[in-house]
Amino acid sequence: MIWVSWRQHRSEALGCLAVLVGLAVYAIMLGTSMRTAFGNDGLAGCLAGSKGAIGCPNAVMTFTNEFGSEVNIAFWSVALIVPGLIGVLVGAPLIARELEYGTWRLAWSQSVPRARWLAVELAMVTGGLVVVGAAMTAVITWYRAPMDQLTGHFQHNIYDFEGLVPTAYILCAFGFAVLAGLLIRRSIPAMIAAFLPWLAIRLVIEFLFRPHFLAPLSLMCGANNCSGNNGGYGISAIPPATGHIGDWVLSQTPHGFLYQPASRFWAFQSIEAGIFVALTAAALGAAIWLLHRRAA
Amino acid sequence: MGQHDSGGNAPALRTERLGRRYGRAWGLRDCTLEVPAGAVAGLVGPNGAGKTTLLEMIIGLLEPTEGHVAVFGETSRAYHEAALARVGYVAQDHPLYRDFSVADMFHLGRAMNPAWDQGLAQERVDALGIPLKRKVKQLSGGQRAQVSLTMALAKRAPLLVLDEPVSSLDPVARQEFTREVMTAAAETGLTVIISSHVVPELERLCDWLIVLAHGHVQLAGPTDDLIARHQMGFEELVMSYLSEKAVTR
Repeated sequence: MIWVSWRQHRSEALGCLAVLVGLAVYAIMLGTSMRTAFGNDGLAGCLAGSKGAIGCPNAVMTFTNEFGSEVNIAFWSVALIVPGLIGVLVGAPLIARELEYGTWRLAWSQSVPRARWLAVELAMVTGGLVVVGAAMTAVITWYRAPMDQLTGHFQHNIYDFEGLVPTAYILCAFGFAVLAGLLIRRSIPAMIAAFLPWLAIRLVIEFLFRPHFLAPLSLMCGANNCSGNNGGYGISAIPPATGHIGDWVLSQTPHGFLYQPASRFWAFQSIEAGIFVALTAAALGAAIWLLHRRAA
Repeated sequence: MGQHDSGGNAPALRTERLGRRYGRAWGLRDCTLEVPAGAVAGLVGPNGAGKTTLLEMIIGLLEPTEGHVAVFGETSRAYHEAALARVGYVAQDHPLYRDFSVADMFHLGRAMNPAWDQGLAQERVDALGIPLKRKVKQLSGGQRAQVSLTMALAKRAPLLVLDEPVSSLDPVARQEFTREVMTAAAETGLTVIISSHVVPELERLCDWLIVLAHGHVQLAGPTDDLIARHQMGFEELVMSYLSEKAVTR
């Protein structure tokens, strides 16, 4: 059965490998020059030398101006949907292709009951996607490492590419797509039907729920402790208003700021990944149950 | 060949008041049948008569709404391993994975069936001149049908079910396929149920006849007896039950 799953999803595995190689080449090229500049500008020393405030603001500005544009905006905004695309491209055909081409009559009339067939397929492909997600995350994290020393990784568009959540996003889109493929019975409509709710849930969680996973801390601004640049918000505020790199400043209050401290990064990652893994498990469980119960 | 060990003297197939409903409409209803071990049974009926519904319930691909099916005396429960393992199945249009090679298809058969007979599978395609390395999408329709049949035979199940196996084939491939089925049945004592709306094709093949129309069994029994009793030719007999009885019902 393991061989069957591998043979059926071999081309998808190769596709994922190609995406990974492309990403790695891009990351090594840009990441190496970023590392060189980081060393030449002596930024490590600037960061080590000072607490609260950054030692050499001009060097920091030079560095972020050089790499900020590439590191952020267009590329990474588009890249946010990549986990969803990988998930639905792999997930939707898993059952729908069998129904579209009539091969379900072949696959499910061998001596392996259909629910077990699906369970093995899902275990294999889920395992593969975890490897792909972890590898993508590792490449991006390595590439961003110098930048992360300046900005931390709690901000939008950085948080979403590091830690546990990218893999969980892929799995969730995959789970939705497998279920949609079973219900809709056609691959392409199932991809769309899975991608849209994935994107909606992903954005709702990011912007409505993530800031409140744990109660934010508040910072009262006294004479000189709100030292941040640019009003203390966002990636370009180095350091943020709290004066501590990696803190995520949520909003300004009349007397200070609400923020999530950098030390909560992994707690937040675990909570968010847990939500998406739970959604995945629900979707895949429903698919196995439905396939076991109903006539295809 | 040990093909009948699982059933002793039980008939290869017995259905009792078997029925399947799709929403409000019955695809098949009140179907009570018996096919003895070793028979080659023809299942005849127009499109939409309930042939595929009946076959899928026999195989264990579809759950009956009412009644029950037993293969060699053992009740078939849909989606269960024991039921699936008792029946070799060639589905309509011979579905195979297009980007698999013939060898890959056999690998799949071996991985998914405990009694898989790899030697039999390889000998059969060798004899037919189908290269193991060829991809399914490069095979002709007739070759695809033969690979499907080979997979069903290599599963070593005591009952072989063929759903409209020749309707998509050209006359030459039809003849070749039919000959292969007859040879396999004669050599191994396999019980075969073969559905078709091509009536003349079945006459040479079947010693048992089941006529299905409008979701009901119209006629069933040994072909020779039925012909003797009705004093008609095979084709005439089938046609009379397909048209007349269907209308009077």
